[in-house]
Amino acid sequence: MKLTGNCKISKNGVFLDGEFQKQLQPVDENWKKEIYSKLAIDYPKFHKMDALAKMAFLSVEILTTVSNIDKFKDSEIALIFANNSSSQNSDLKYIHSYNVKGSPSPSLFVYTLPNILTGELAIRHKWYGENCFFIEEKFDVEFFLEQVKFYFKKGAKTCLCGWVNSFEDIEECLVFNIENKGTNDTILKEQLLTLYNQ
Amino acid sequence: MSQIFMTYGTMITPIGNSAEENFIAMMEEKSGVQFVENSGFNQENWPLGKILSLPVENRYNELLKRACANLIKAHGSNLFSDEKTLVIVSSTKADINALPKDTFASTRRILEEELHLKNKIVVISNACISGVIAINTAADYLNHTDYTKVVVIGIDALSDFIVYGFQSLFALSSEPSKPFDKNRKGICIGEASGVVILSKEKINDAFHVNYLGGSSSNDANHISGPSRTGEGLFRSVKLSMERASVSSEQIDFISAHGTGTSYNDEMESIAFDRLELVDTPLNSLKGYFGHTLGAAGLIEVIASMKMMENNTLLKSVGFEEKGTTHPINVLKENQEKEVTTILKTASGFGGGNASLVLKKCV
Amino acid sequence: MSDLKQTLKEQIIEQLNLEDLTPSDIQDDAPLFGEGLGLDSIDALEFIVLLEQNYGIRIADPSEGKEIFQSVNSLAAYIEKNK
Repeated sequence: MKLTGNCKISKNGVFLDGEFQKQLQPVDENWKKEIYSKLAIDYPKFHKMDALAKMAFLSVEILTTVSNIDKFKDSEIALIFANNSSSQNSDLKYIHSYNVKGSPSPSLFVYTLPNILTGELAIRHKWYGENCFFIEEKFDVEFFLEQVKFYFKKGAKTCLCGWVNSFEDIEECLVFNIENKGTNDTILKEQLLTLYNQ
Repeated sequence: MSQIFMTYGTMITPIGNSAEENFIAMMEEKSGVQFVENSGFNQENWPLGKILSLPVENRYNELLKRACANLIKAHGSNLFSDEKTLVIVSSTKADINALPKDTFASTRRILEEELHLKNKIVVISNACISGVIAINTAADYLNHTDYTKVVVIGIDALSDFIVYGFQSLFALSSEPSKPFDKNRKGICIGEASGVVILSKEKINDAFHVNYLGGSSSNDANHISGPSRTGEGLFRSVKLSMERASVSSEQIDFISAHGTGTSYNDEMESIAFDRLELVDTPLNSLKGYFGHTLGAAGLIEVIASMKMMENNTLLKSVGFEEKGTTHPINVLKENQEKEVTTILKTASGFGGGNASLVLKKCV
Repeated sequence: MSDLKQTLKEQIIEQLNLEDLTPSDIQDDAPLFGEGLGLDSIDALEFIVLLEQNYGIRIADPSEGKEIFQSVNSLAAYIEKNK
């Protein structure tokens, strides 16, 4: 297993392969929109996404500038994502729409599932491979690597993994790409922990 | 890789408290879908698959506790407290009423308390395909780790959250759902818990099947509407059959997703046609239970296992006249038939599709 | 009419949770669906809610919405005609 790219984003900025990206540092409270603008992408659907999907979308856009995931066939890329808050932020907004604003909002409702973000990634990049969203208690490197191994055994050539949270005042996103070529698992685990704690 | 066995854990729905009870009720065409007064956002009476004996408050937690009680009663406690046993949970919203606190916290707590688990649970929340993915993931653990048994629990409870949401999408049917039918109007939401136990060896004398293979695939098309070409479902079934080393001709029966919406059922007919499965008898079980979301994959697999055990295919309740542009062989009556190999499919929000193949043990 | 259009833009942003956008991001004649804002059938349902809650105009069948919701211009014209 080899870590071939990673991207961490939050309101404090963007780390790509562990390096802070000064040019992408947001100053605005609306930091996700700001990063989107700085990336100069033309993808209007971005504006409809919820916080989870926006963070996953942006981090993968940035990640793919260094990690050539598209060299693999669209069925060879597995998406393994997890968090410890499900779609909480979107859930609360949706509940607010019918409890307070007077009508349940369909466009909010469709985001009340954490796996929608993998759907958004698949649509953007035309990835038809396997994917799964897990609810964990905390970021667990061993758990991710366990799933990665399963998907490699089943034929995936690369696993794009992500830990994406949006709840209370926490908004965090770390995505990392692991390819099926030999390296030391222990080093990989250490690398991932360092990146998460960065 | 060695064989993987699967047997019943339990099954709690509006029409039964065990796999056997449910099957008997289904043979008698009992449906768990009834009109529930004032269930809609504007006090509409929507048809829902409601378990009437669950309390108004705390439905999810109570349902999970009942599932645990059934499991201990049927299998004893040692199986669950064994260090080589893993539990995987499939649920879309879990204890939604816990918001703004952690909606999955009570799941971990209840399972730990009731089953005395030695290992932390795995939780899959991937919309309506969670159940099938959970079974596939269980097989992964058995194939590639030291676990000898994996208990897969699918569970979701009714809530205003869910009902209002599907209502806002104009997706709810004003009458019990009619999957694949010309006059289908949409889905009926339901609640249930279904549990299966996968293992490296048979765990008791009850009916077991072999899990042969499964997979998932994304449509890469839309986050809530299915692909117009059925691409994700097509790819998933093709891959599952490859992994199971079976061909279309060898599939005796398909337990389809069949939600009763115009788009989903049409998409499935397109995919099954592409897969050369147009003549294979199929049903949707959602006419009996409604769409039980995170539990759907589990209870529908259990019901399919019952069909295999009894060599009886159940009719697709709600279906009268074909309403898809592609041919499909929807069961209109119960049918006695030697059922050896079956295919289960599921599709869900997020563009997900998943499938698996089961075979009677030799 | 231009006040209505400005208000509509604010309401569209609010109703569709397009929190990133401001009214100046939405042109009067830009297609709202497909290209332009990239809205889809789910968002069309939000427009139905918007019309009912803010203008008391009820559209019972979602499929009627396609023509009406084409752009801010067509939406404003429809409201003027039906309020």
